[in-house]
Parts: sequence; structure tokens; C-alpha cells
Amino acid sequence: MSDAEQPTDDHVPGDDEFEPIQVFPEAEEMDLRPGADNCYKCSTCDTNCPVAEVDDEFPGPKFQGPEQWRLKRQDDHDIDDSVMKCSNCMRCDSACPSEVPLSQMHNTARAEYVEENMSKFSREYWRNRMLSNYRQLAPLAATFPRTANFVMGLSVTKWMGEKVLGIAGDRDFPEFAKTTFREWWAKRGGNATSRERAQEARAERGAEVQNEDKRIAYFHGCYSNYNTTEVGKALVRVFEHFGYEVMIPEQACSGTPMFANGMLDDARRAAETNVRELSAAIEDGADIIASCTSCSMSLRQEYPELFDFDGTEDVAENTWEAVEYLRVHEDLEGELEGTQVDDTNFAYHAPCHSRNQGLDGQTMEVMSAIDGVEAEDVGDSCSGISGTYGWKEENYETSMKIGEEMFDHMEDAEATTGLTECPTCSMQMEHGTGYEIQHTLQVLEAALVGTELEEA
Amino acid sequence: MAHDTEVLVLGGGSTGCGIARDLAMRGLEVTLVERGNLTDGTTGRMHGLLHSGGRYAVSDQASAIECIEENKILRDIAGHCVEMTGGLFVQRPEDPDEYFQEKLEGCRECNIPARVLSGREARTVEPYLAKDVKRAIQVPDGAIDPFRLCVANAIDAERHGARIETHAEVVDLLRNGDDIYGVEVRHDSGPGKRTHKTPGTTEEITADYVVNATGAWAGQIGAMADLDIEVRPSKGVMTIMNVRQVDTVVNRCRPKGDADIVVPHETTAILGTTDEEVEDPDDYPEEGWEVDMMIDTLSELVPILEEARTIRSFWGVRPLYEPPGRGTKDPTDITRDFFLLDHEDRDGVDGMSSIVGGKFTTYRAMAEQISDHVCEQLGVSASCTTAEESLPGSENLEVLEKGMDDFGLRSPVARRSKQRLGSRSPEVLDTDEANPVICQCEGVTRAEVCDAISQSGSDLNAVRIRTRASMGNCQGGFCCQNMASELHPEYDEETTREALDELFQERWKGERHALWGEQLSQAMLNYALHATTMNRDNDPASAAEPVEYGAFDTGVQ
Amino acid sequence: MAIEDDVLVIGGGLAGATAALTAAEEGVQVRLVTHKQSTLRHASGLIDVLGYTPAGEGPIVDPFEALADLPEGHPYERVGTEAVREALSFFDEIAGDAYSGGHTASNALVPTHGGTVKPTARYPVSTAAGLASVPEDTLLVGFETLTDFDAPLAASHLEAAGAPFSARGVTLTFPGIVRDDAKINRYAHLLDHEETVQTGAGETSAREALAATVDAHLKDESRVGFPAILGDDHAADVRADLEDALGVDVFEVPMGPPSLPGMRLEDMLYDALGDAGVRVTSGVPVIDYETDGNGAIEHVVVDRHGQEVPYRAEQYVLATGGLVGKGVRSERERVFEPIFDCHIPHAAERYDWFVEDVFGEQPYARFGLVPDRELRPLGEDDDPEFSNLRAVGGVLGGYDYAAEKSGAGVSLATGYVAGERAGTEASR
Repeated sequence: MSDAEQPTDDHVPGDDEFEPIQVFPEAEEMDLRPGADNCYKCSTCDTNCPVAEVDDEFPGPKFQGPEQWRLKRQDDHDIDDSVMKCSNCMRCDSACPSEVPLSQMHNTARAEYVEENMSKFSREYWRNRMLSNYRQLAPLAATFPRTANFVMGLSVTKWMGEKVLGIAGDRDFPEFAKTTFREWWAKRGGNATSRERAQEARAERGAEVQNEDKRIAYFHGCYSNYNTTEVGKALVRVFEHFGYEVMIPEQACSGTPMFANGMLDDARRAAETNVRELSAAIEDGADIIASCTSCSMSLRQEYPELFDFDGTEDVAENTWEAVEYLRVHEDLEGELEGTQVDDTNFAYHAPCHSRNQGLDGQTMEVMSAIDGVEAEDVGDSCSGISGTYGWKEENYETSMKIGEEMFDHMEDAEATTGLTECPTCSMQMEHGTGYEIQHTLQVLEAALVGTELEEA
Repeated sequence: MAHDTEVLVLGGGSTGCGIARDLAMRGLEVTLVERGNLTDGTTGRMHGLLHSGGRYAVSDQASAIECIEENKILRDIAGHCVEMTGGLFVQRPEDPDEYFQEKLEGCRECNIPARVLSGREARTVEPYLAKDVKRAIQVPDGAIDPFRLCVANAIDAERHGARIETHAEVVDLLRNGDDIYGVEVRHDSGPGKRTHKTPGTTEEITADYVVNATGAWAGQIGAMADLDIEVRPSKGVMTIMNVRQVDTVVNRCRPKGDADIVVPHETTAILGTTDEEVEDPDDYPEEGWEVDMMIDTLSELVPILEEARTIRSFWGVRPLYEPPGRGTKDPTDITRDFFLLDHEDRDGVDGMSSIVGGKFTTYRAMAEQISDHVCEQLGVSASCTTAEESLPGSENLEVLEKGMDDFGLRSPVARRSKQRLGSRSPEVLDTDEANPVICQCEGVTRAEVCDAISQSGSDLNAVRIRTRASMGNCQGGFCCQNMASELHPEYDEETTREALDELFQERWKGERHALWGEQLSQAMLNYALHATTMNRDNDPASAAEPVEYGAFDTGVQ
Repeated sequence: MAIEDDVLVIGGGLAGATAALTAAEEGVQVRLVTHKQSTLRHASGLIDVLGYTPAGEGPIVDPFEALADLPEGHPYERVGTEAVREALSFFDEIAGDAYSGGHTASNALVPTHGGTVKPTARYPVSTAAGLASVPEDTLLVGFETLTDFDAPLAASHLEAAGAPFSARGVTLTFPGIVRDDAKINRYAHLLDHEETVQTGAGETSAREALAATVDAHLKDESRVGFPAILGDDHAADVRADLEDALGVDVFEVPMGPPSLPGMRLEDMLYDALGDAGVRVTSGVPVIDYETDGNGAIEHVVVDRHGQEVPYRAEQYVLATGGLVGKGVRSERERVFEPIFDCHIPHAAERYDWFVEDVFGEQPYARFGLVPDRELRPLGEDDDPEFSNLRAVGGVLGGYDYAAEKSGAGVSLATGYVAGERAGTEASR
């Protein structure tokens, strides 16, 4: 019998558009060479790269993206190791005047590098794995927050962190909250309480009390749950104030730190959970709201670029950043008019990932509606921390160099409170200036709901 | 009378260079003359397919067998020019089953390793194949860089004492009665390496024996000595994609037809082709519909091509030949076999043979047979060693591959550079000088560009075919200038300027078949860079009238 | 709810920024939406007005004089010579000390990184000491790792171009650059932040090290030209320090993309936008629009990574650029404007979009919208496409900015006129 006589064909004639991703669901095997078609070599991406500007070893996004991909062949697996220097700030994405999928190329190349070239026994691998899986460690710390905060603050722990794991010893580990956001939420009565409060608010506003449309599912991410729970609480209160019923679906890490470390398998597992849970929420009529701009970025852009679960696109299309949502669905600025807050001077930093979503000017515009508030934009530079990037011992110095411009501008501003939407930018702002840093939602909460209101 | 050289080879394509190398290695004194750059004729205008023979396994089994034999030899002797990509003959649902079966059987009969893959298996090999492909036959097709191969043959011929003259156009055959004893050539810039701005000269080169290896131009050469050589040039279009959508040679498995092959070539993929007879190999229409047909038809096999960026299209002319009396109408039916026309036997004119027909993959075997013939004519007994001796750059490749030295370059740049230079890599790339990348699209460094300049003079197109610099997506917009800079100060400013202009215009002309979408935007950016930012379109150094500097703003308030 | 403003400018290059700034002068709320970064980063930072006539005559000494002879349909003809002058004055006000050339109507001749000279109306102050019309001997300095600028070749080229001084070039190693593929912002950062670098003489600051490297090669030239990498945020300080150390004038030779002078110009414009209260939204594209049914645009739709958000204004200005900025796009069969599908005249056959000589009269270089004198883009029927949409800068057709050296001038003049009209109408 010749080969030809074997029943070899098992294809189903295609009726939909060709999707190479469906052949290889593994992102590290995705062929992104066609993405190089859009590059016309202008190097605008390079001029936006905060890392290439200070780090001699990093050759910039154009090389890491379209050039490296174009020079690559299916069988080549020696991704240049400098791809690990990329901080995944994604500024190159919004820089490129010609639609090159730069961060997607970087994420995929990085994943391939980690898969093929990085020793799974190396300190670097395990350090990166640990940093990108913060979520796995955080629950432990949150169970014994006092101990964790104490231990993390010990100089011997920092020394151990730097020497053994390569985590920058100069950084202060974030404090863990004594009660996590989800614990607070459960104690508060969960969704049922929220529905009640939303209905009360609607009644007060003279709106239809029963309204299935005014429902959001909050993607709080790791940091609002374990560390800055006040941001999560502010979101709940502000949305309830506008008559929205809040749901808190089950969720895993958004994946942002995993993309940045080339841990795509970890990211895929997390994304699968998130897409499943958030799709269910969308089925229930909710829109997805994030308070962290990297989380919303991940759900909106990176998921559809890297994964292909049922509902990935649906989740991307229904995810909003919190303030953006209120601005488009409510008369937020009208509501803010005539309100006041105690702390009126802010130095605002727009996170790179918020720029990518067209949200760079939003906070400044919203703040100007509150009486007496003076917010000053500290410029369009990158804070330099980029999630886990600045936590690594070998990047600490470049991270602080990148942040220098922002620190200078913060110090020049007439404010001693910083304002931003990204938890790690917030850490960097605090680390570089010693200022207290707030999230925009906290200011909105103070203006619209008041801060005294402490709930059980 | 003593002649200037024993053998004079006309034509610097694969056949001519192969013959020059073969004869020089046999100890003969050889001179090769070429009208333009090496490969400027048909060799530089093909899709770079190293045939497994699969394409001829049904229609022309003798050719198929020759192909698979030469395929194996070239992998050995020209490893740095060859990429063993493998090939697929892909059947779509509408393509005939019988032909698929014939193809498979033909391959087996010709000893071409062939394996059937299911549609799904084929798509595992090539993810961008259409979802509905039915099945495929996997064969050992490969990709070969014709420029590098030709240059390597020429370099080796020179190492064995040959004289290689490019930019030396044959303007006359020297004929004394029934004896051809040489040619008159017109040098573009004087003998030796080409230098722009050097005035041209003419030279008579006499030889004991002349080999006319000018392919599609053989008829024109013959006519200079009133010899009638009935070449039937046939044109074919090839469209270059910006990236490799496939890493395997993808053939459409159907009897015959245009637009049925995609060849991964270096960083690009080349779509081919058509087959249409033309009168004049230097003057034939190149038309947009031919390009459209490549894209539209081949998108049936590889759908992503429909929206993909093409950076150029080019046409080549096959040097087809048909012995008198066969009268084939359709050029696709003319044999791909080659013919040695001994003009003494054929026309009673002594001292010259012409070689016509044939195909690139079997260039070495052709060269061997012609060289045997020449030796016989000259009474030399020396045997051919070209099948055993590696070409320069392909010696001890395994040593290079084992050595992990990346010469301080980023990994993909090192990988592509080493692949182009082969065993010459350490000699060229191991430098203490700064070695920045000159052409970023193709990853070509200064050291490699300078090495090419040392081979070919101020001719940047010759540098281009040696290095691939300026052959990527910007088509030289960003690197032509930088390539030219490397000529200075060895060559003066005026020579450099002229060389730059020539390369820049050449790059532009080839893009004209790709000017829409991304490539049109690229063209505008290139134009803006060269005209707006550099003002090269109104360069006062090249203008007739001097600029009156004193009339302009002197900066004084 | 839509995001509401009075004037919405789409596109954030020179034309868009100028339109937004002029509109804001009328006291209305202006928003500028820009998707990706503009071609300012490709451009040399020079403000060309007109260097050559459309017929190729030049270099023109007085560009304003030549404007009157431009053919009908040329953007300058649409807005009129006076508007061009006013727009330049407006630019001079914004630029302040950062630009020179406003003291005269004459063009300056500036050396280019290709070694030629080019006529321009305004030039960054960093270029001022290098004018080719000034007969002062010049040392050009290039760096072995910066392949775009070959100083010895450029110097010979300047002499061949008849420049009235002697020019000499040297190629040096840039102190502190450790990889051959460092980006220009790495060079600029070293100088901006006075990073400590290692040289043969030990540790020193980057500026001092550079000055010492160059000083060793300086003979009796009275000025030294560098490729345009002398700092970004602190360019003036960098230059002043080098001048002090070398005792001669220091200037920058404008470069191709990516261009620091272009980036400095961009920073200057965005600072001005901030000061003028213009709201800037970046990183997201305008993808669609709705009309009010009466020939006016009611709102446009901005895609924020999947969320389609309406933005509404009274008046709209389209400043999305040409083929490079992607405000004009093409396919095998057509050339089109992607947001509003405004009419772009072009030959049906794509082989008629270009000519054989790369520097010939290229039809593709003139692709763009045809405006009326109000700068409203016209449809095929010669009626305005929308009553409240104006188009400015590179998206306009009918001129070849590369050949004429008129890109920045057209952007300024049309931006100025459209911004003023949009602002005035919106304030009614």
C-alpha cells in the first residue's frame, strides 16, 4: 500500500477566515513575521523606548520586534537575550505610526526565549516566576499580614532577596492589607448588598429603581485585593453612587507580569480563568470594569493578541477602565461640579498602559471639574518600574534612571500627593519622592461620597 | 599567434561562472566577460529554487533525475548558498487526484524521496497554508541564492587564475574567415574592478576557444558572427514578498499553470511565475496584471498573501532553445534540457561553441559537459573536480556551525551574516573596529559591506548582490546612503555620489510593481528622506548652475 | 455620553497642533486626538516654506515672493500669501528663542546629513551656527557607530556643492557608547544627564569627554558640526558646554528619522498645547463618524481598544498626514482617506501613480484631499464633503512637499487658517 492510499485527510473545509492562531494555540509558536510588513523603519518606536535610552544592552523595540522577526525562520530558536531587557511598558505600541504589533512581537519572542533559552534551574527563571506570580504568594502574606509586613521589611530579608533571588534590595515590599478586598466585600454582604445600595442610589437620583443595565463586574486585580484595598472600596462606592450594582467575579491575575517575564504558560492559565468568569458576568448583563490600567490593557489588548479562548474577544470588547466608563456612561464632570475634597493638590502621572488606551488626559480633565483641585501632569515620561521590571536587582538602576524625569517633575509640582492609576507606578512614585500616592478613584470617592463613611 | 587567453567565456551567469571555475580548476587559462554585474541576466532573475526534480517528475523525467543528483552535489559543495527548506506539492480540493498520484509515482521512479502528508500535517509544516488544502507530497526542494552561488564560482575561478571582467560588453566577435578567435569588449569603466567616473575603453581579447554562455542573449552574440542561434526567450514574473510567509517551497500540485510556486528566499518569499515567449530578452512588457495574478492565484494556497506586502517584482527570461524542426507552440512545452552547439559541426565556423537551454539547478553538470568539450577541442586531458571541491565559503561549514562565535553581533544578525559568508565569516566579521549594522532590514554589518567593496569596486549593486544590503523592506531608503559612505575615502566624493545615485535609482525601478499599501507609504518616506531631508533631488554639487550662497540668510539679525 | 468639546482636531503633527493652538486662541474648548506618533519624529525639525518652485527652479531666496506664482489648487494658493506670513509669525511666537530665521524673509541654506545644502525658512537654534551661507571654515564630526552621517564625506560634498568655506570631516568614537547599535536617544541621554563615562583618561562626564575627543582634532576651524544628537531635554546646555570647552561655535546637522530636532519641536508644540488648555487624547484612533443628516459631522467615533467612544464637537479639523502618516492610504486599486472617505483624485491605473525617475514629477507625492478656500475637503462634485470639516497639512494634495521643500510651511499655514476658522465658527 502506498502512502497515498492511506486515509490521510481529516480536514474540515473551512468556511471562516483563515486564522493561523487556531493552528498553534501556543503563543510561543506563533509566527508573527507578517507583522513586520507594517514596519517602514522610521524608528519612532526606538525614540519612545525608556529602556534603550538608559540601558546599553537593550537594542530597542524596532530590533526586538519587526527586525528580529523578519530575520527569523521557523527553525531558528535563538531569540536574542536582550529581549529580557524589555520592560513591557508598551510605549512602542502607541508610538508606531504604522501599526506594527510591537508588544505582541516582544511578548511572543520573550516567551520563546524563556521556553527555549532560559535555564529552568536558573535563579533568574525562578525569580521571574515568583515576581510574575505575585498572586500566588500574596494570599500567604495576606493570611499573616503583620508577620509578612514585618518580615518583608527586615534588612536581612532584603539582603536575602537581592543575593539569593536578585530582587532589588533598595525596594520596599508593598504592605499587605489586614483585610483583603474580597474579605471586606464578603463581610459587607457581597452582591446582594451592592444591589440594594445601587437601588437606593437610583431612587435618590429619581431614576428607575429596577435597572438590569446598570451592572458592572469589577476586575480588581491582585493589588487592590491584597494591598491597596481602599482603591477597590472606592470603586464600589463610586459606582454604587451612580446606581450601579457591582459584582465581583472569581478571577486570577490579569497576566501582565507574566507577559513581561515571558511566562506565557502561567499567563494562559490565568487568562483562561478570567475569560471564563468574565464571559459569564457579561452573560449576566454586566460590563467589566478595572481600576488598574495594566489590568484593563491586558484584558483588552494582550488577551486577543495572544490567546484564543471562547469569549476572549467578547471580554476585550466589554472591558472598561473605571473612570473612562463613568465618563462615557454618566455625566461624571457634571456630577463633580461643585464638589470639594480636602486634599486639593496633586502631581499626576499617567501610566504608560493608560496612554495606550487613550486615557492619558482623562484624569486631568476630570480633576479640573472638582472645585479647588489643582492637578499637575508631571509629563509623559515612564515611571521606570513597569511592573516587575524595576524589582529586579539588575534593572534597579536603569529603572531609577528612567524614573528620574518623573521624580524631578513631581518635585517641581506644587503638590505633595501623587496621583496615578497604576499600582506599580504608584510604588515607584512613592519610592522616588516619598509622597503619599492616591488612585483617581479615591479622589472621586472623596468628592462624590465622602471619606468618613466607614462601612462595617 | 599567441592568444591572450586559452578560453574566453562570454556571460557571467551561473553557466558562465560554472564553466570558468571548472576550466580554471582543470588548469586552463580562462577569461570571463560579462556585460553588467555577475547574474545580471537570467541567473539573478529567478526564484532561487533548488529543484528536487519533483517539478519535472511527470513531464520530463530525465531532467528530474539530473536535478536530484545535482541537488545533492550542491548541498555539499555550496552549503552556504543553499537552504534545505524542503518542498511541498500541495493539492487543493479542486486539483485532480490523478495528477497527484502521477506526481508521487514519478518522484519514486526518479529516486526523489517523496512522502505524502495529510492536509493537517501539511499545515503543521506550514501554518499559513489554506485551511482546506487536501494533502501534499513532501520532497527535498530547497532554496539557493543564485547571486552568492555565482559570485562564489567566480571567486574560485579567480583563485585558480581566471580573469573575471564585469561591465565588459561584447560588441563584436573577432572572426577570421571560418575561425572565431576572440571578442571586442567595451569596458564600462576600464578593465578591472568597476569604478564610477573612470572613462570606458574598448579591448580586444583573443582566445584559443570561445564559449558563448550568454543564454537568452546567445542569438545576439551569434549574429555578430552571422551565426543563427534560435533561442526562444520566455519571460516569467516573480513577485517578492516582504517576509517569509512560508519556510518550505510550496508548489501547487496540478498539471501546469502559471503562479504555482512560492519559494522562501533568504528573508523573503518569492511568488512565481509565468511562461510567455518574448522577442527581445532586453525589451519586453512587464505588466501589472501579471503581478496581480501571482498574488491572487497563490493566495488560494497561502491566503495571507492576499493582504501581504510585496516589495518588488521582477521578470526573468528563460534561455529556452528548441532544435530546428520541433515547432513547439506553447513555451511551457519547450524542453528544459540544454544544448551544446558546436559551431564547427553545425555552421562550419571554428573556435566557438554556444550553450543554450538548461536550468539553474543543473548549472554545474552543464558546465562540466561543456568543459569536457572545450578540453577535447584544445587537446587537454584534465578531469572535472567541481563536484567534489567545495566553493569558497562552503568549506568546513560544520566547523563554523559548531563554533558559537557570534562576533559580538545580536543573534539574528550573526545568524544571517554567518549564513551569507559561510566559512569566510571569521575572516570578514572578526574585527576590532566598530561594526555597526549598515542595512537593518537584512542585518548586514559594515565589515561585510566593506568586504564586498573590496571584491567589486565602487559598484554598489555588486555589493548588494553579495550582501543583500538594500534588499529588505525599505528597499534601500534608509541604507543606500550608508552603503555609499563606506566607499569613501577609498573612492572620492564624486564617485561615491554617482554610485549612490545608481543604486538608489535601481532600487526604485524594481519597486514600481509593488507601489501600493505599505510599499507606497515606504516609497513616500524614502522620497521624503532623500528629497526633503537631504535635498538630494536638487543637490547643488550635481547642478549645472552654482548656488549664490551670499544671497541667502547669513544668520545676522 | 459623548466626550464633548467645541473643536476636535484629529491628528497630532505640526498641522494638527497648529490648528488646535489657533482654534484655542478663539477661547473655545479644543481637543486634539492623535492615534500614533506623528511624522514630526521623521522630520528634520526645519521649517521649510518653499525652497523650489513646482517646476523645480531654485533654490529660492525669498519664498514669500514666489508664493504668488503657485498654481491653482496648491495649498498655499488656497490660503493666500498673507496667511502664510501670519502663520509663520504665529510659529515664531510659539517657538520664541528655540528657532531662528524670523529676522529675514530670505531662506537660509542649511547643510544636510547627506552633505548637500537645503533652503529653509526657520531653523532650530541648534542649527543656527552652521548655515552654509556663512563663510566660516567648518569641522564636521561623525561617529563610527552612527552610520547615517559620514562626516568626511559630507565635508567633501559640501565643498563640491560650492559652499563658501573649507570643510573637513573626522570620524571619532563617541565616549560612553558601548554597543554599536545604540539608539540616538542613548547618545542624547548620555549628554543630557552628564552620565559618567570611561575614557582613556579615566572617568569623566559625557560632555567633557566628548569635548576632549573633538578638541584633539580641531585645527583652525571656527565652528564644529555634529549629527543632531546633542541632547534632548537639555540640548541648549549641552551645546553651550561644548562651545565653552572647544572655544568655537557648535551646531547640529539635521538628520533623518528618528530625528531629535523633530522630537524637540514636538515637545515644544505639546507644551504650548498644554499651556493653551487644549485637551490631548493620544494612542487611540478615530475610526468612524456620524452626520447630523444635514451635511455636518455630528460626532466621530474613537476606538479605545475595543470600546467605541463618541467624541462630539462643533467643528472638526482633519490633520492625519499623507501616505507616511497614514492619513492617505492605498490598495492595489485605489487611494483613499480612511476616516471620512473624502475624495482623493488619482489615476485608476496604479502604474500611473509614479514615474520612472525616482526624483521625477511623482504623482503619488501629490496624493491628497482637494480643499476649497475655507480648507473644507471637496467631493468629486466639487462641493464640500461636510460643512464642519477642514483638512490641513499632509492629508492635503496638490503639492509635492519633498520636491518643493514646503512641508512644514503648508502644515503651519493650513493649520493656522483652519484652526482660526474652526475656532471662530465654534465660538458663535
